[in-house]
Amino acid sequence: MPRRPDFPPIPPSHVIPLLPRRPGAGRTLLRGLAPAFALLLGTAMTARAQGNGTINGRVVDAENGQPIAAAQITISGTQLGRSTGDDGRFSLPNLTAGSKTLIVRRIGYQQQSRTVTLGANATITVDFSLAKSSVSLAGVVVTATGEERKKEVGNAVTTVSSADFERGGVGNTQQILQGRSTGVTVLANGGSPGAGGTIRLRGVNSITQGNRPLIYVDGIRIFNGNSPTGVSSRQSVSPLNDIPASDIERIEVVKGPAATTLYGTEASGGVIQIFTKRGRDGAASWTLDASGGINSMGDFGPSTDPTRMFIRECRGPNMVDANGVAFEDATCPESGSWLKNGYLGRYSLGVRGASGGINYAISGNLENEEGVLRVGTNKTGGMRANLGFAPTKTVTLALNSSWQRRNTAMMSDGNSADAFLLNVSRGPGSNFRGGGCSTTTIVCTVNDTIFSKSNTIGGDHFIVGGTATWTPFENLTNRLAIGIDYNNTDQRTINPFGYLRTPTGQYFQTLWNRQLITVDYATSWKQTFSKNFTGTSSFGGQLFDSRLNSTELQGDNFAGPGTPTLLSASLRQITDVNQQRVINAGLFAQQMIGWRDKLFITAGARIDGNSAFGQSFGLQTYPKVSGSWVLSEESFWPTNLVETFKLRGAVGEAGKAPGAFDATRTWNPVAAEGGLAAFTPGQLGNPNLGPERTRETEYGFDAGFLNGRLGLVFTAFSARTNDAIINVAYPPSQGFTANQPENVGVIKNNGFEAQFTGNLDLTSWAKLEARLQFTKVNSEAVDLGGRVITLDALSRSYVQEGLPLPAYIGRRVKNADAFEAPIVEEGQFLGQTFADKIINPSVTLTLFRNLTIEAIGEFQRGGHLLNGSGFQNAGLGIWQPCFAAQKALRAAAAGDASALASVTARDRMRCSITASERDYSYWVESADFFKLRNVSLSYEVPKRYLPRARSMTVTFAGRNLFRSTDYTGTDPEVADQRTSTFSRRDYYNFPPYRTFLFSVRTNF
Amino acid sequence: MPILTNFRRGAVALTLAGLGLTACSFEVTNPGPLVDSDLNAPGAVPALVNGMGGDLSNAIGNYLTRGSLAAFELNHSGNFAAERQFATGVIRAEDVNGDWARMQQARWVAENGLVRMKTVLGTNFETNPLTTRAYLYAGFANRFLGENVCETTIDGGPRVPSSEHFVRAESLFTRAITLARAQNSTALLNAALAGRAQVLAWQNKWDAAVADATLVPATFRHNAVFSINTTRENLGLATQTINRREVTVFNTVWVANRDARVPYDTVRTSSGGFQTGQDGRTRFFRQRKYITLGDPVALARGTEMLLIRAEAALRNNDVAGAMTLINQGRAVSTLPALTATTVDQAWTILMRERGAVLWLEGRRLWDLRRWLASGRNTTLQGRSTCMPISLEEIGANPNLQ
Repeated sequence: MPRRPDFPPIPPSHVIPLLPRRPGAGRTLLRGLAPAFALLLGTAMTARAQGNGTINGRVVDAENGQPIAAAQITISGTQLGRSTGDDGRFSLPNLTAGSKTLIVRRIGYQQQSRTVTLGANATITVDFSLAKSSVSLAGVVVTATGEERKKEVGNAVTTVSSADFERGGVGNTQQILQGRSTGVTVLANGGSPGAGGTIRLRGVNSITQGNRPLIYVDGIRIFNGNSPTGVSSRQSVSPLNDIPASDIERIEVVKGPAATTLYGTEASGGVIQIFTKRGRDGAASWTLDASGGINSMGDFGPSTDPTRMFIRECRGPNMVDANGVAFEDATCPESGSWLKNGYLGRYSLGVRGASGGINYAISGNLENEEGVLRVGTNKTGGMRANLGFAPTKTVTLALNSSWQRRNTAMMSDGNSADAFLLNVSRGPGSNFRGGGCSTTTIVCTVNDTIFSKSNTIGGDHFIVGGTATWTPFENLTNRLAIGIDYNNTDQRTINPFGYLRTPTGQYFQTLWNRQLITVDYATSWKQTFSKNFTGTSSFGGQLFDSRLNSTELQGDNFAGPGTPTLLSASLRQITDVNQQRVINAGLFAQQMIGWRDKLFITAGARIDGNSAFGQSFGLQTYPKVSGSWVLSEESFWPTNLVETFKLRGAVGEAGKAPGAFDATRTWNPVAAEGGLAAFTPGQLGNPNLGPERTRETEYGFDAGFLNGRLGLVFTAFSARTNDAIINVAYPPSQGFTANQPENVGVIKNNGFEAQFTGNLDLTSWAKLEARLQFTKVNSEAVDLGGRVITLDALSRSYVQEGLPLPAYIGRRVKNADAFEAPIVEEGQFLGQTFADKIINPSVTLTLFRNLTIEAIGEFQRGGHLLNGSGFQNAGLGIWQPCFAAQKALRAAAAGDASALASVTARDRMRCSITASERDYSYWVESADFFKLRNVSLSYEVPKRYLPRARSMTVTFAGRNLFRSTDYTGTDPEVADQRTSTFSRRDYYNFPPYRTFLFSVRTNF
Repeated sequence: MPILTNFRRGAVALTLAGLGLTACSFEVTNPGPLVDSDLNAPGAVPALVNGMGGDLSNAIGNYLTRGSLAAFELNHSGNFAAERQFATGVIRAEDVNGDWARMQQARWVAENGLVRMKTVLGTNFETNPLTTRAYLYAGFANRFLGENVCETTIDGGPRVPSSEHFVRAESLFTRAITLARAQNSTALLNAALAGRAQVLAWQNKWDAAVADATLVPATFRHNAVFSINTTRENLGLATQTINRREVTVFNTVWVANRDARVPYDTVRTSSGGFQTGQDGRTRFFRQRKYITLGDPVALARGTEMLLIRAEAALRNNDVAGAMTLINQGRAVSTLPALTATTVDQAWTILMRERGAVLWLEGRRLWDLRRWLASGRNTTLQGRSTCMPISLEEIGANPNLQ
């Protein structure tokens, strides 16, 4: 048994699988393995004979001399290595004497290596000073088979590291991803604190099965959907946001089926891998982050309406309807506005280090956020403990556990009779009318009483997992990860006794529990076939056991006041019970062949089974092949012009499983005939139902110019989903009225992503980093068997062959801008729902090495949104932008045709006073926008002012400070989440607000 | 070759693992819904038949709001776009997807359930009282469709006239009558006779209709059942007028011409003004025929039987006979007798009486439609008189394209 050095191998995420490149190696596999054994044996023998040495050192940023944490130091030809601590220091003890080549890698920096000679029992110091790189092929990314060197990977993988977002005042994953990666679209769905957003990677590959990416946290898959949507809040919370930004080390975004093939049947929407902070070498390093700030409402709603839908102003001369009839709200706050500033406090304390052979990262966090109305808060707090140790010399264990508690109180929003915006913006048409106004003759609303209703979502989220890595030989790594993601949510909607709209009260409760168990095994065997050829064989399997237990309860008629429970209600119902279990299991195998460490070809396949497949449907196989060629390492390459260049391409398949019970014909138990047991038709069923399969081809390059100052990453992709699952309507006259999922469609999705990065030294004291990301995504329904799929008829949202997914289809005014009678065309394509162009410019200006100004913006172009608030309020005569047109229309109806001279054909239909003319179609509007997502100013306090601390950063950050859009509803990003999450409809949805945050981050 | 050997080993291992995967139990568990085959048991029959009633009530309860708007029984005071169209006299295929599906489902569940019951119950089929109930549900589901749709399709078949439903209903009610008589069930017999009288009349078989109608007592009533027990069992129209203010009696003929059988109240706000509907503009006069979410809706009444007989008499210009029958019905509601001397006067009274007796029962559109066709009434002139085949049915049914 060869003796290994006494210090444990580095934890899995830090292992750099280097392939030994030794001249003269044999041509067969055995010959290839021989040198590795020889090296290992030799090392041990030498150690015994010659004693041990130590290499210490420090890694710093070449530009500012600041320590670089989490840089990976490895010794070439071995798996020995460490990562640097927060002070940039590392120590490699117990090394055999002789010549060593140290390699330092860190994402965002150019790789560096240095060969040193270590004497017996000697201690030497080797410091590194790393230069930033716009495009770096150094580092590793985590794939389904384990870690792979970035240069070997044939796909585009985006990494967002903590250094990229620490200054930005972000609180959660959703905010981190906004504007920081190509191909990622994040839409905030509403303006309640805690409301979960919609995340898409490379657009749309599925019509019915969702386009949410899979999410892994430290190798354990977590539930990737949102919580149930509130009955009246019409929003949900996202478990993804339970991982506080302060815990996150980095996020890897794997986009498209060509990259996610080995993740299997549920991966066609892409994969997001979140890695939380781990212990590091050295003494305990504490980090305290304290932030405080305010949320306030920026601009929203129709710009010509001075009251902004009676939210910004709720008192004064503008409180009139289209006929000029005044109304009042007796409960309008003294400020004359419903809006207020909300407080935001965010705190985290963490400690990282290593002691007694155990490395640890332990942290706690607390956040309290208020929205911009009297009701709306998100309180969350939790703890995390990540431990790593090596019980034997060949085994390392990493244990990660986190608990996050969340209590969110939302306002009533969206398409709900109690929604605050719905009632306030309807002016005299509010459902909440009463007394207390200046006169008894005026219409008097009491909208503040809406706030007595509560919409709460409370829950606990545990993610517990362990990863064991066994490396019996240097070239063979076995990894087993087992964990559980446990989400428990209690959602309540309560109209108290005495509530104006339902005087005897109402109670809705959803108890929702989701568990996802992951068992993931992968083995990776590295081979050296010859001097020029190396390889890595990988195989493994995954099993996911997903369980859902949910119970929906409803109570009506409380006996009296007091905090109600279900038992307070005289009428109680269990409206839904769901106890679902779905198992997905798969095996994969992959072989990578490398040529001269420059050209890499990888081929693999995955075989999957899933509970939701029909009985006549067997296992599914998903193949992939990819290639990567580091041209800049070829002798012919003009490295003086382009010093880093990797060409890559991949083709692969991934799938989406149908719903749990879609394959079976079912009947639903219901009550009928006065509470008697009964059945009603449920699902028609289809024994041939299988997953939809998306095949994607992607190709592109990573290029670095001018000593890392400029970088360009480009990827073009083209995906085609065959057997797309579409909810096919069968004739209702055949009894089963629920649409049946069938594998009948073909959809395509293509586009490209480009990221241009520049690091410029403006002066000796000013440096500028600029980044421009551009994403173009076009999705289209190619073949639906001639069907037009109705997603939401009221929203005019359909899927139709030849049109983007999903499309708004309906009536259009042909001569919209003309001042004449409207010409209306039926069945017209009105626009696509999601943006097809997303542009993210960002700049970081560093002055005097310690003052940093950062700004991230986002343009979204090409998307559309149905302004349901405008449609309804125009019909009710309370949409301010229609007041002039409606006055003219009334005059014309009274016989004065000339009154219409200044009213466009579009406005004659949008603002029509004739009920039969009105249509949602006219309210499908462009949702183009520019938003300043993030602006921050941070200052590194000089060390001389910090006698006890290692470092301190003071940051002033703002989110969503500026918005530019022509959309006339509240905001182009909002959508009611209860109606449909694929089609989008703004139906009185409260807009997102802006945040100002001051934070101090201290390391000591 | 060692490589091949290793690859072979790998392949064997992979194959074995693959076999393991196939042996894995992937049975999805989702307790709750029942698989179709579980219904093929005698123990499941009661719930199956209850389901027929539940689906019929669900179809009727939901449709009443829109049906009453299309037939001027109520006016619109809400915000729902489809209801607004119905109120303006426009019934579009895209706006009837839900109603069409619920009506057709009620018919299919009952008719198809009878086929299943025959197999499951075997020789007990004819003697089981549940069978009679099932025939009644199937009959009334067809009558309801026949009265409200313009044309139809059966089980995804080709386009056929809406009268097909009356033909089917007549046959189903006839079977129900036979079984009810054999089982000595007076209530079910009266319901079946009343149902058959209705559909016989609508097929212009007035003499046969009168024969059945005469056998039904004046006070008899057979209901579609609703309940406050669960939301699905609630009467949709009651939800729209008790929990919400979507439709109003304001501005209907019943405000100027009050009738005890058309109860409503005016609602005031806390400041004393008229409460407006959900649209914030139209005065909200709340119907009071249904005062809880669980009140039943009549499918057949003895008083309607009197009116069918009166209408048959009037078709023969028998004014006196018709008025006698009309006044017998009014007496049931302790209303004073009315007089008419001419056929036209009697027709006016009859049409109003049917409106009052059957108010908010989903019947008025059919009455106005058939009287428009016969030239007796022009209320629906220029408006939709019935529900077209839904857009969903047209899109999904290849026989309609």
